[in-house]
Amino acid sequence: MAKLYLKFKESVIREIILQNGITTIGRNETNDIHIDNLAVSGSHARIIGESGGFTIEDLSSTNGTYINDRRIARQPLVHNAVITVGKHTLVFLDPVAAVPSDNDQTVVMRKPASNDATVVITPPRHSPEMDQTIVRGAGSQTISPVQAAVERVGKLTVLDGSADAADYLLEKKIITIGKSDTAEIRLKGFFAPKVAAVINRTREGYFITPAAGERKLLVNGRPVTAACPLKQLDIVEAGSLKLQFSLVEV
Amino acid sequence: MNTVSSGYSDRGMVREGNEDSFVVAPELGLFAVADGVGGHRAGEIASKMALDVLQDYLGRTSGGGEVLLGGNDPNYSDTANRLASGIRLASRVIYESAQDNPAWRNMGTTIVAALLEEERLSIAHVGDSRAYLIRGGGIIPLTEDHSMIAEQVRMGLLSPEAAQASTQRNIITRALGFEVDAEVDLCDLLLAQEDRILLCSDGLTNMVSDQMICSIALGSQNPDEICQQLVEEANMNGGKDNVTAVLIMVRSGSLSLLSRMLDWARRS
Repeated sequence: MAKLYLKFKESVIREIILQNGITTIGRNETNDIHIDNLAVSGSHARIIGESGGFTIEDLSSTNGTYINDRRIARQPLVHNAVITVGKHTLVFLDPVAAVPSDNDQTVVMRKPASNDATVVITPPRHSPEMDQTIVRGAGSQTISPVQAAVERVGKLTVLDGSADAADYLLEKKIITIGKSDTAEIRLKGFFAPKVAAVINRTREGYFITPAAGERKLLVNGRPVTAACPLKQLDIVEAGSLKLQFSLVEV
Repeated sequence: MNTVSSGYSDRGMVREGNEDSFVVAPELGLFAVADGVGGHRAGEIASKMALDVLQDYLGRTSGGGEVLLGGNDPNYSDTANRLASGIRLASRVIYESAQDNPAWRNMGTTIVAALLEEERLSIAHVGDSRAYLIRGGGIIPLTEDHSMIAEQVRMGLLSPEAAQASTQRNIITRALGFEVDAEVDLCDLLLAQEDRILLCSDGLTNMVSDQMICSIALGSQNPDEICQQLVEEANMNGGKDNVTAVLIMVRSGSLSLLSRMLDWARRS
């Protein structure tokens, strides 16, 4: 089964299963693969699937269609081919098409890469003006996600208990709650554990992991035994401290 | 910081060679794991080359004041920036060596590296080799894989359960040597007593759950023993890939007996 992964920068945006017949790529909404970016022409390219395999054809687009950084007009697709349209890339995966059809080089017949071998996909280089994906909102107003994105940082506000600050901004990757000297959020008292919980900041958000054997980490009143995501206005209770989590713009 | 460390690597139960490499160099404060990519032993060469270049670079620049390749990111410590610079250099060396030698075309490697300076541990990674912090008995991931599956999970396109079952976990989106310049992810961390840091290749994490890794890592005071046990566990579960584990353990201070008694008193 042949597939395309639509990527923007490092991220995979969509997975497309390719069928026999014609699959169109372009900025117009009528395209099968619709990419809303000004670097992409209205009707940019098309992929033709036949019994012999898949072929990509550029439809005289303004910025061109590239395969592995070479501009092409029409070319058969081989396994792992990286197609570039504007700032977006489409990675073509079809284990059956693993043998390249390169006339200039001696081709060594190899079995298709087995699933256990690691494959690397790298994005090609681009000019910076193509960097923007335009998001069309209601009322056909254009907003750029670059302007819309504001960095948000987690904050724990002390609601109850004795702490050395009124609130803690969670800017570091790892934040420890406990009695330990190195803990960012210090617990006081003889009975406080050295480590009560650890907060991990990731691209997906904040996660709190309780220390083993500490029965006393509560999130929204419920005991937590494994890593748990922190959401807006969650209440965290560790030792004698009661804290509220929020995401703030900085 | 008083630490003990160890590393162990095995080709696993299926692969014929071992394309993983590791370095444990406490005198430099350097610990790293690299997992090579590319046929005809090129992966093995790439992972070894990455660690040799990195170790050599850090050995030469430990005085500070050197020019950083790729600039200085003010969000991270000098230690982290120095580590990133060494990794970028390694990527260039691999890239250029591959250009000169047809047998090495398309070779590359992942890397996860930790550089210890006093109490600060800086971690850098490219690809799907990982670092974990084991603190307070819990296991916390310090790295986010540069793999297609991990990206799809981050974007909410794939559930973590579906990711576990996916056959495309082998596709990575970043590696050293595939492009002239490698994009390196960094993280700075202040170590605490009794912390354990694990660096490992995907041959471990694809075979052993995080919870199991955590309990093995806490099961002994001897880092040699822990690394071997982690590798054995991966092999027992099938050992489909090369397996490598590097462990750094922070020793507790001189008050450990007293603090352990207090801990015992508190819990009972």
